[in-house]
Amino acid sequence: MDFITKKEIDLVALLQKSHCPSAGAIVLFSGEVRNHNVGKSVSYLEYEAHASLAAKMIAEILLAARNRWSLSIAYAQHRIGKVKVTESAVVVITASVHRGEAYASNRYIIDRIKHEVPIWKCEHFADGSKEWGGNCNCDKETGDVNKHIYEFESI
Amino acid sequence: MRIQVFAILKDFFKKEFELKVALHTIADLRTHLSLLNPNATPVLNRCRFAVQDEFVTDEYTLTGNEHVVIIPPSSGG
Repeated sequence: MDFITKKEIDLVALLQKSHCPSAGAIVLFSGEVRNHNVGKSVSYLEYEAHASLAAKMIAEILLAARNRWSLSIAYAQHRIGKVKVTESAVVVITASVHRGEAYASNRYIIDRIKHEVPIWKCEHFADGSKEWGGNCNCDKETGDVNKHIYEFESI
Repeated sequence: MRIQVFAILKDFFKKEFELKVALHTIADLRTHLSLLNPNATPVLNRCRFAVQDEFVTDEYTLTGNEHVVIIPPSSGG
């Protein structure tokens, strides 16, 4: 399956494919485009990626999560190109025996994708302006572009 | 060597361009690009560099034939 896609993400179809006899819990996270940011009205987002490197890194992150939490399913897909308000830009699906592992691993995967994987968003605002925004700023605290402060570690 | 940039770096450089100067390391490349466009320095200082889909450090030795990808801080999701 494609980890990076130009097509609209079909959440229902992906969930339908994620049922697993050994899993008592499935968590689906959808990161969606909202209509505002930093006090400005957002028209849409445009994503770009270094597709081959991004796909390779997502595969590595999914494998790490699968091994760490013994998951039945670990899947993620990120959309590139123009993504409209309410559409999904990224989906992460995890399935495990119990819900704890499915929740924890899902947060781990989305955190690592947001901080590490070479994907960027350009915000297009209603006033016609645009800005490459929302980038990882962890290095300002850690002093190292390869060291991040993850939300999943603070739970 | 061939240089490819993404996202905000496209505001400072062409998306892809050729560099024909002799540079020994990634650190030298970073410095060279800063001199070419000083306004890009704050971004360049926070970028990761990759060669053939592998991240490389500032000490990585360049031969001049590489395709170097410059990766600003991520903002996916």
